[in-house]
Amino acid sequence: MEQGGIPRPAGRARLRRALLAAIGVLYVVSIPWYRTPGAEPELWLGLPDWVAIAVGCYAAVAVLNAAAWLLSDVRDGADGEGTAE
Amino acid sequence: MSPGALGLTALIVYLAVLVAVAERARRARVDLSPADHFLAGRHLGVFVLFLTLYATAYSGNSLLGYPAEAYRRGYSWIMATGFMMSIVVVFHALVPRLRPLSVRHGFVTPGDYIRLRFRGQPGVDTLRRAVAVLMTIALGNFLLAQLVAMGLVAHEFTAGLLPYWAGVVGLAGMILLYETLGGMRAVAWTDAAQGILMLCGLSALLVWLLGEAGGLAAATRGVATVRPEAVAVPAGRELANWASTIVLLGLASVVYPQAIQRIYAARSGSVLKRSLALMTFMPLVTTLVVTLIGLAAIPRFAGLGALEADVVMPRLLAEWTAQGLGSAALATLVFLGALAAIMSTADSVLLSLGSLVAEDLFDRPRQATETTRFGKRAAAAAMLLAVLLALVPELRRTLWRLIELKMELLIQCVPCFLLALHWPRLRAAHLLAGLAAGTALAVGLALAGQARLGGVHVGVLGLALNAAVCCLLAWRSDPAPAG
Repeated sequence: MEQGGIPRPAGRARLRRALLAAIGVLYVVSIPWYRTPGAEPELWLGLPDWVAIAVGCYAAVAVLNAAAWLLSDVRDGADGEGTAE
Repeated sequence: MSPGALGLTALIVYLAVLVAVAERARRARVDLSPADHFLAGRHLGVFVLFLTLYATAYSGNSLLGYPAEAYRRGYSWIMATGFMMSIVVVFHALVPRLRPLSVRHGFVTPGDYIRLRFRGQPGVDTLRRAVAVLMTIALGNFLLAQLVAMGLVAHEFTAGLLPYWAGVVGLAGMILLYETLGGMRAVAWTDAAQGILMLCGLSALLVWLLGEAGGLAAATRGVATVRPEAVAVPAGRELANWASTIVLLGLASVVYPQAIQRIYAARSGSVLKRSLALMTFMPLVTTLVVTLIGLAAIPRFAGLGALEADVVMPRLLAEWTAQGLGSAALATLVFLGALAAIMSTADSVLLSLGSLVAEDLFDRPRQATETTRFGKRAAAAAMLLAVLLALVPELRRTLWRLIELKMELLIQCVPCFLLALHWPRLRAAHLLAGLAAGTALAVGLALAGQARLGGVHVGVLGLALNAAVCCLLAWRSDPAPAG
């Protein structure tokens, strides 16, 4: 794909998309759908296990999201898509 | 020195520093154009941009409201860390497309994108104004909430030496002064100082609380003893609310005008993406910290009711202050951090409000010096109205039903940016129809007393209808002319 005549680094874009997909999965896992409501949890790292999983997911999201931002192509001055002009 | 006198002295020193920063920002201005005043001449670097994004995103509500919410709801409030982080994730759909357009076309307000994207199409001006009205209501709500919080915190901070009304009027006047003098530069520089204060104060408070409780595991066991349901796996409705809150906050927060304007104000795309890469870690050191503070307060204040939970943070700080001079100094830092967080959110809101009213509602030209003056006058009028509402509880209560719909209204603007940036086939008329349908559903349900259906926010349901209407109309229409 080209924008303004400059070839887009396809590898970085693919990796970024993979990171964003992984972030989506982590968000789904962070919510304890898979546990029985009202169940008494064990303590992991000083937190209820389902909370420790959520915190772990959000920490992983932070790392992956930071990497995704560093792989992002945020240009100045060149026109992006999304205009009807 | 009494705690009140210590607080008052710290407050006076802090305000003197703010005035000095504002004066420096005034001297640094290049011209009187809207781009220089509202966007700091588009020259914000990584450090300042990151801290201003941070200080703006974390309002008084994050520092005072979130511990109270964690106290009420228990460990499921860990969702707050997720939804604050989701904002920086959703920015991926906005920034890479919007930033290049903003630089090339010199955008100042969110409406500038709508003008360009739908130029010459029927309904474009109505759409721009409708978006501006929803954003203005959301900003008005935000400003009023910050003023009320400012008065309460200043009153607590000075142990009653400063009355509520004096806190509201004095601090509102201070914000207006430095925002008028230095524009976005003053706001960004003071946000930077305020962000650092917040970070230091909160970390110190958490260390003290966990030390008192005997560590994180002991604190959790303490919570399980007094309120077992607070540590148990949440029920289905709470889980639906968890997911819905991530969607609501993640999507609505990226279309806050002050967030969009920081995309425009960055020195470069590279600066912007590095700032956002840093921002993604901030929920772990801010939201998670205030959540743990609220949770650690459960065994400490076991008897508080749901309404009284709002005093969790002030009560913790009062207890901390009583531990000795060192603790009192650190508690003062937290109070100052909270006040700083509130002021930094209020100043950003006010700056955006001025530009939004001048350009998007009243069609003032983007490059004219007169627009800057008009924006400043609009900001002053908005501040005056907000102060009045903050001081007259009867007036505030009358408007409350409308303004508490902030996020429900703001999220209806999402398709105008996120869908429009990615789907050339969308026209202004499609978005206008979607906006009307989504807003009517969200407001209708909210006014009927339904804040959530099955745990899902009515704003999210409104957005689903909004997006469905847009998509249906766009699919049925002729493709957009190629450009």
